Amino acid sequence: MQMPGFLERLADGLARQLLSWLHRRVEPGSREWLDALTAESECADDGWQRLRWALGGVPLVWTINQRRQRNEPTRGTMRARIVPGVANIAAIAGWYAVIIPAIYGATHFLRCHLSFGNQPGGCQEHPFVFASIAIGGAVLGMIIALALRARFAAYWWAVFAVFNTVGSVWYLRSGIVDLPRYGATQSAMLMAATLGVVLAAIMRETPGTENDHGPSAAHLIAGMISFAMVDALIRMRDRPLVADNVSHYAILGSAMFAAILAGLIRRHHRTPVERPL
Amino acid sequence: MPRLPNTSPQTLSVLALLLESPRSWHYGYALSQLTGLKSGTLYPILLRLADQGWLETRWAEPEQPGRPPRHTYRLTGAGAKTARTKLAEAAPSRMTRRLAAVPGSR
Repeated sequence: MQMPGFLERLADGLARQLLSWLHRRVEPGSREWLDALTAESECADDGWQRLRWALGGVPLVWTINQRRQRNEPTRGTMRARIVPGVANIAAIAGWYAVIIPAIYGATHFLRCHLSFGNQPGGCQEHPFVFASIAIGGAVLGMIIALALRARFAAYWWAVFAVFNTVGSVWYLRSGIVDLPRYGATQSAMLMAATLGVVLAAIMRETPGTENDHGPSAAHLIAGMISFAMVDALIRMRDRPLVADNVSHYAILGSAMFAAILAGLIRRHHRTPVERPL
Repeated sequence: MPRLPNTSPQTLSVLALLLESPRSWHYGYALSQLTGLKSGTLYPILLRLADQGWLETRWAEPEQPGRPPRHTYRLTGAGAKTARTKLAEAAPSRMTRRLAAVPGSR
């Protein structure tokens, strides 16, 4: 095998891979200049020259994306800032104003009191009723927030939809056998769900994948990172908790489910209209 | 102090080259070879000049089959006029700076 020939082919392959990767980093409507640079790369005499040429695509893509952000039509206008803020507040506060009276109404109707212990008469005697209110309330809150295009509120309700769903399954599976672990597990699940949503929400999407509707590998990675972070924290603070498989799976489930849900919200919320440069 | 737009040496070298034959269409690769600018410097300059209306762009059919169409550039009428002014303004000031740097030139 001739080394120079092999290295040249390697450089050529790297150049093509780099250009293809850069292509995915630019919105479809803004690719004219990157396409121009890519077309000219065919004029390079060898693989090394092509690689050097392709590396110039990195600052070009940065320039293109900066320019696109500057040209966004709604950016910086007062209305563009106020409307989502109002929608988010309405979707969070407004829906709490429905859910809280619903829970108190249910306790009154079922003649029980809200209690998180296993004492007689507590809401644990009607787990399906309260779980349905909690899960249904959060899921409906998320749907309302999505309809209002209030992304923050949708993420907010996604955290509680995950927490309530996984928490209900966990409770029905294990019950309260050890009261100090109950609060710790609930806190860990809430933390995992919040982290999962936050990481998946801030994870940068690959432009040009507008037709994908499923969660991407990036969202699954966000879920795994969230679980790893919460798990590390628990191991430092409350080691017996991770020894319990059911609680541990509940935390893993919260992180993964939250990241996937946040990924779906993000895709749903994306502006469907392509913006040219 | 912020620099005036399109007065960097790199931009001026591109403008000077385009002005040599203002009515001809130029390819990016050739511009890079002739100015000595790397693609990562050249293309953001071309993009900015096109945004400002100094540069006209066009997709040209490839000379060889199987190759993608090529993007070509030439100065607009207004671009050529402004480029001449910029180059004329830049030339004396550069000359002054170079002379000042030479010992015994004052």
